[in-house]
Amino acid sequence: VGLNDLLDRASQLSDKLHSLSTSLTHDLDTHFPPMGKILMPRPSMCHTAPLQTPNDKDQALKVPESELLSLVRALLVSWNDPLLLLSSEAPTLSYPYNGYIYSKTRELQENSHNLSAGLDRLVHKIGTSSKSLSPLPFRGGDLGSDRNSRLINFYFLLSCFRRDSHKIDSFLKLLRCRAVKQRPEMC
Amino acid sequence: SPPGKPKLTGCRSPEKETFTCWWEPGPDGGLPTSYSLYYRKDNSDTVYECPDYHTAGKNSCFFNKYETSIWVNYNITVMATNALGSSVSDPVDVDVVYIVQPHTPENVTAVVYTDDDDDPFLLARWEPPRKVDTHSGWITLVYELRVKLEKGDTWEEHFAGQQKQFNIFSPRSGEVYMVQVRCKPDHGFWSEWSPISYVKVPDYI
Ligand code: NA
Ligand code: NA
Ligand code: NA
Repeated sequence: VGLNDLLDRASQLSDKLHSLSTSLTHDLDTHFPPMGKILMPRPSMCHTAPLQTPNDKDQALKVPESELLSLVRALLVSWNDPLLLLSSEAPTLSYPYNGYIYSKTRELQENSHNLSAGLDRLVHKIGTSSKSLSPLPFRGGDLGSDRNSRLINFYFLLSCFRRDSHKIDSFLKLLRCRAVKQRPEMC
Repeated sequence: SPPGKPKLTGCRSPEKETFTCWWEPGPDGGLPTSYSLYYRKDNSDTVYECPDYHTAGKNSCFFNKYETSIWVNYNITVMATNALGSSVSDPVDVDVVYIVQPHTPENVTAVVYTDDDDDPFLLARWEPPRKVDTHSGWITLVYELRVKLEKGDTWEEHFAGQQKQFNIFSPRSGEVYMVQVRCKPDHGFWSEWSPISYVKVPDYI
């Protein structure tokens, strides 16, 4: 399989991953306790916040391909454990439709797993970055004990993932366009 | 009396590189009232005032590309002040990636194509909004087209994906069609519909 096809496939998966997390966030929004948003930790408390990433187009365009890919990989791998936590805790949330929430979190996990496999193949094609980036450790082993804080922590994790999946998707789509200079219908 | 509370009505980014926020004034207490927008980015404690009240018109604040970061929350408030006091809006949290709504597609044209053998068809073409960088992949746009007989009642919608042209087969002989196009970024909101383009089908039956 060529580089273009791999990048196409990877960006389809990352697009799906971000859309899923957005739709799950909106689902939860509808029944979220009003105080929840106020009590929720700030985005700078997300476990991946220390990972330095570009935060506008000009910065992103300056990052070499292998480094962007390495960033995408570090972000995605940092979510292995928290995604597992989300799907294992979803069925126990005191929340209407938690069966539905559960199946969506499983879908997030599967997509993330497939994307990881795709990234491994991309690393073979593009090469590894000299700046090696390590995934960030996740220290929140559970969601807490009372029902409100469990819901808030669940929502918080999900909103962190929503932002990170948008980064992953944006970087992969930049890579996709850089790989093919001549594809006017795409880029 | 002091001014009433202003209300932040929304923020939008047309291309994931700049953004604008708008507010509605509250009751002004019958006195000349001025408005200031303040923001704090989530990764800093510094509060800044709006960098540009002019570019986006009345009751707005424009952030150019040097003042715009993405994947960072902006905590925004508006303060109304008159001679008797001031009042502050409820704060709004904004991450630019969640407020992307492009301008309409440009140069929308529709022409009639006729071959000798076949019936004519309509070919609609358009360009992405000028300021959106689809070339680098920073935004990916998909398009939707709608078509209506000028004297008809209902629009017929067609999804064009990433293509910038669309064929409409078997147009009615001698009729005028109206065509509009809109676009949506990979994650964000549909643009408005473009201005109507008209195309006249010659009598061919
Ligand atoms: Na203004
Ligand atoms: Na910027
Ligand atoms: Na988004």
